[in-house]
Amino acid sequence: MSVRLDGNVIILEGACRVEDAEPLLGWLQADRDRMVDLSNAEHLHAAVLQVLMALRPAVSGPAKDPFFRDWISPALGEAPVGDPGSRAR
Amino acid sequence: MDDLLQHFIVEAHELIQQATDDLLALERAPRAAGPMDSALRAVHTLKGSVGLFDFAPMGIALHAAEDLLSALKEKRAGIDAQAIDILLACIGQAERWVATIEQTGQLPPDAAEDGYRLARSLRSQLEEDPAQAADAIPQTELGWIEELRARSGNAALKTQDAPLVAIRYTPRADCFFAGDDPIALLRSVPGLVAVRLSSRNPWPPPAEIDPFSCNLRIEALSSAEPDRVKAIFRFVPDQVSIHEVPSAAGLQAPGAVPDAARGAGARTLRVDSARIDQLADLVGEMVVAKNALAHLSRQFEDGLDRKHLAQGLHASHAAIERLVAELHGAVMDVRMMPMRDVFRRFPRSVREIAGQLGKAIDFSMEGEDVEADKAVVEGLFEPLLHILRNAVGHGAEPELVRRETGKPEKTRIVLRAYRDGERVSVEVEDDGGGIDPAAIRQAACERGVASADDLERMSDDEAVDLIFAPGFSTASEVTDLSGRGVGMDAVRSAAERLGGQASVRSRLGLGTTIRLSLPLTIVMTKVMAVRLGQDLYGIPLEGILETALVPAARILPVRDAEAFVWRDRTLPLVRLADLLAIPRPPEAPQSLKVVVMAAGDDLVGIAVDRFAEKMDVVMRPMTGILARMQGVVGTTLLGDGSVLMILDIPELIG
Repeated sequence: MSVRLDGNVIILEGACRVEDAEPLLGWLQADRDRMVDLSNAEHLHAAVLQVLMALRPAVSGPAKDPFFRDWISPALGEAPVGDPGSRAR
Repeated sequence: MDDLLQHFIVEAHELIQQATDDLLALERAPRAAGPMDSALRAVHTLKGSVGLFDFAPMGIALHAAEDLLSALKEKRAGIDAQAIDILLACIGQAERWVATIEQTGQLPPDAAEDGYRLARSLRSQLEEDPAQAADAIPQTELGWIEELRARSGNAALKTQDAPLVAIRYTPRADCFFAGDDPIALLRSVPGLVAVRLSSRNPWPPPAEIDPFSCNLRIEALSSAEPDRVKAIFRFVPDQVSIHEVPSAAGLQAPGAVPDAARGAGARTLRVDSARIDQLADLVGEMVVAKNALAHLSRQFEDGLDRKHLAQGLHASHAAIERLVAELHGAVMDVRMMPMRDVFRRFPRSVREIAGQLGKAIDFSMEGEDVEADKAVVEGLFEPLLHILRNAVGHGAEPELVRRETGKPEKTRIVLRAYRDGERVSVEVEDDGGGIDPAAIRQAACERGVASADDLERMSDDEAVDLIFAPGFSTASEVTDLSGRGVGMDAVRSAAERLGGQASVRSRLGLGTTIRLSLPLTIVMTKVMAVRLGQDLYGIPLEGILETALVPAARILPVRDAEAFVWRDRTLPLVRLADLLAIPRPPEAPQSLKVVVMAAGDDLVGIAVDRFAEKMDVVMRPMTGILARMQGVVGTTLLGDGSVLMILDIPELIG
């Protein structure tokens, strides 16, 4: 299991797989104030990523993996300006 | 409202109109490239403008519309009626939103729901045919590619000339079940220089999220060779579009084209109506100045022997006069506008009405370039919409009937404008069932519009003309037009307010033509209204020098006439009641209200009961029998429907 709940923090570690999306979603739906710790995540499956994009929990990082840090993290932070697609909430 | 928003509203109206025109053109010719490009440009530009404000639902809907259009364009397979419907629905909603924004500065509260719903239906059109990979970059793709490039934060990238590969990857909703991990795929793309992750559809509320239904959209730029990038996505060709982006310079150039093309395409000059009014006011002032100056010059000529000064004044008078004429001409030119500006709103209206009423209509327009005064053109929208509604509702027969009589199944309705000497005619012609004079007679009798005897004597043409009679239209014809019951009598009075006439020509079984004949220009005349008892009369303002209050004691009887002293001059006093042969009020007032005006070369004081307001009116010259009426230059309809007679005082004095 690459996703676990520690107190009020959801920790994603290593390579998160498609089946991690469901528990992650469940924990976030139960308590929207939960933080998500991504600092040890190496890869997020698209299913996991879209849960984070849709619910926008507070995330802590930064991720160590360069691909993750450069290209994925920005989508989980502030909504980029001039992008109606992701500002749509 | 801030300038930016105001500018947005004006631009949005134009873009919405453009998109509508293009979509309707596409409906007629689904494979036409021109309207497709133009519609895409309009929607894309509008979406971009919306992004400047906090109108997210509108942005989402337009974004979806843009995606659908660009997918349809790439496919080159033409555009079907269903797609046109949903796109028009989206544009129609955008139009309503802009109207709300114009009033309140923000979107209505239910906009989010409507926006998502529209986006969903637009996307569902897309779903069935995922975008194919294509090498050529469609115009709309350039937008996001350029955005991504600009956002990449890599200065070298923005200016570099090296080619890039642009990837837009929209995984299928069920891709997770096929074992795909789109993020893993993205990770394996070599030479990534920019990535944007977004959602294909707006995210649903948290409680409704299905974690296993993929809703991602991935856009990326890579500096790797195109073939290497394509190899990575070889198993998902139906979900990705890959384009080669030549270079920064190459990208800029085509991107700049649409704007320039749009500028050239826009034929109408936008003139602030306030400016027009200002110019018109200026003309009014110049007229007054001219009169005063003429008077002054005469004074010098009479009283003082200073010929040179008088000559100078005359010259200046002439100059002002010329200026007035020029200014007037310029104002009128600016005010001329083509019928297109109002006509272009009709195809969609007719389409909607036909849809509501379940009629098959072949609608066309002619003479959109015919010009007329702004007030005439703009004043035509409501009456024409009503006539068109009638043509669809009453003129068009059911298809079955048409087939039996050997007519084409679709009822042909033509909206036509043409110059007719100094007038412009606008007519709506249909090849429908025509108007049955017998039915009109019966209805007119039932509704008490005319007596049975009168109806008996009327010719068929006269009977058909009764459709314009007040009270002929019944409450059952109350339409959603302006939310009130508007009969054809409203059409006729609207035409008359514009200085025109409405007429009908109909042949039973063959069709009906309703024609509005209108003046090319409406000359607004400034008049001063005065009261005599309860009656209101107008006096053209250009002849008036001043209004004065003259105490009754200061009125000097001069044989059987009267006079008074005004600014050291003795002026004849004429009572308007006498001029019009109306009895004077029984008790003489303490003081007289006098209009001092020019009558020929002399000045005269005209006594009235009361001064009323000054107004700009559309003066209609007297025609027919009334043309011989002495002392009246014309009439105008007042806002309350009453008629104001505008007097020719010099002629009345004789």
